Amino acid sequence: MQASNNKELTPLNSQVSSSTAFAEGLLLAQVATATLELIINKALALNNNKAISFAALNQKTLTLALAELSFKLSFSVDTGSSPAMVMVRSQVDTSDCTIKTSIKTLKKLKANQSLTQLIKQDELDVNGDIKIAQQFANIAQSLAIDWQSELAKHLGDVPTHKLLQFGNKITKSISATGKQIEADISEYLVHEKRLVVTRSQVSAFNGQTTAIAREVTTISARIDKLFAKLAAK
Amino acid sequence: MSSSDKNPQASDLPTNQKTPTDADTSAESKGTTHFGYKTIEKDDKISMVAGVFHSVAKQYDVMNDLMSFGIHRLWKRFTIDASGVRPGNKVLDLAGGTGDLTAKFSKLVGREGKVVLADINSSMLNVGRDKLRDKGLVQNIDYVQANAEYLPFEENTFDIVTIAFGLRNVTDKDKALRSIYSVLKPGGRLLVLEFSKPEHELLNKAYDFYSFNILPKMGELVAKDGESYKYLAESIRMHPDQETLKSMMDNAGFEQTSFKNLTGGVVALHKGYKF
Repeated sequence: MQASNNKELTPLNSQVSSSTAFAEGLLLAQVATATLELIINKALALNNNKAISFAALNQKTLTLALAELSFKLSFSVDTGSSPAMVMVRSQVDTSDCTIKTSIKTLKKLKANQSLTQLIKQDELDVNGDIKIAQQFANIAQSLAIDWQSELAKHLGDVPTHKLLQFGNKITKSISATGKQIEADISEYLVHEKRLVVTRSQVSAFNGQTTAIAREVTTISARIDKLFAKLAAK
Repeated sequence: MSSSDKNPQASDLPTNQKTPTDADTSAESKGTTHFGYKTIEKDDKISMVAGVFHSVAKQYDVMNDLMSFGIHRLWKRFTIDASGVRPGNKVLDLAGGTGDLTAKFSKLVGREGKVVLADINSSMLNVGRDKLRDKGLVQNIDYVQANAEYLPFEENTFDIVTIAFGLRNVTDKDKALRSIYSVLKPGGRLLVLEFSKPEHELLNKAYDFYSFNILPKMGELVAKDGESYKYLAESIRMHPDQETLKSMMDNAGFEQTSFKNLTGGVVALHKGYKF
C-alpha cells in the first residue's frame, strides 16, 4: 500500500526504486533545490550588470534532467519581485524547455562543443523551446559580481584591500609554484629521463656482474688447482 | 477509526501513548470533540484553539524553526513541489498562518494567478499579512479569515488547495474536507501536510519523548507558553494516522488519494484530486 502511494507522488509517476523512495523521504531533493535557489538568488542580488533582463523569461520554466541525479531541477523565473527571483523545484507538471543530459555533457557544452553535435551523439535531448535554455545560459554568463565591494561592506575598505592583496600574492605564488613544477617535470621528461638508468638496465647489469663473479670464482679455483699441481711436482 | 478494535481505550494508556479510538470518534459524534487529550464540547474547540494561536502567533515562525530544526521548510518545499502549481493558477492556502506556502505560491502563479491566504485565527492572519507585505508580496494575494468547515468561496474556484499543519485543529475534519472538495475546480488537487504516525517504533518513542518532555519546555522558554505546545504534542497524537486520513479524503469524494511519509512518518503529505 505504502509503496504504491509513494509512486503516485513521484515526478514521473513511473517505477521508483526503493533507494529513490528513501531519498525522497529524507528530502534530499528539497535540500539540493533550496541550496541551489539560495546560491542563484544571492548571485543575482550581487550582480552589477544592469543590462541583464529576465523579462523574456518571466514565468518560464527550464527543467534539467541530469543522469546523475534521481530528481529533476526545474528553474522558474518570477520578475514580480525585485530583483527577479529564480525558484528551483524538483518536480513540475509542465516545463517550457526540458533538457535530458549528464553533468559530463554540460561540461562539454561549457567548453563550447556544438549543441547540435551533442544532440546527434545522443548525449543531449531537448524538448520544448531551446531559446529558453539559451537565455538562461546567457544570463549565467553575463553575471558580473564585484566581490571586492561586497566584501568591503562587511569587512571595511582597508582589511578588504589587504585581504585581496594577500589573496593575489597567494594566487601568484601558487601559480608560480605550479609553473615551476610544470617546468621541472618537462625538464625531467625531456632530458633527465633519458639519462636515468632504468630498472631493467640495473637488473641486467646485476645479472652480468653475478655472471662475471661466477666466472672469476671458477677461474680462481682452476688457478689454485694449477698452483697445487705445480707445487706437487 | 477503522482499526479501533485493535486499539485500547485512550484512558488506559499513559498520556504519551494515547491514540484515537472508537470511543473518541463516537464522542465526537455526540457533540463533543478533542482538544489535545481533553474531551470538550464541539462549540468550545474553536475558541480554545484560537486561544492557543493568539498566544503563539508572534513567535510562531521562530518556534517552528526551533522545534523542527528547520526541517519544516523542507516539508513545505516538498508540498510546493508536489502541488504542480503553474502560472495563472488559483491557490487556496488554508490555515496558512504566517504565509510560508503563500509566499512561494505567489511567485509561482505570477500576476495572472491568485493566492488566497485563509486562516480562522486573526492573529495568525495579521502576522502572515505583515510578513508577506514586508517581503514585497502584495500583487496577487488575498487574505480571508475563514473557518475550513464553511469556506466562503464559490464552488469550483481553486486549482490547488493546501492545508499545512492545520487540519488537526479543525473541529469537524470530515466537514472541512467536504468544504474543500466543493471549492476545488474539477482536476484540482488537495494537499494536506500534517504531523502523522512515525513508521518505526524506535523513532516513535524518541519522538514521544521529544514531544512531551522537550517541546513544552522550549515553548515555555521561547514563547512563554508551555501549555500551547503541550496541546500541540497532544493534538498530533489525536490526529488520524496516514491510512485513516486517506480514507477520510476518499469519503469526502477525493479520487486518486495517496500519501507520502516524510522524515520517517513524523509528517505525511496526503494528496487527492477532484475529477
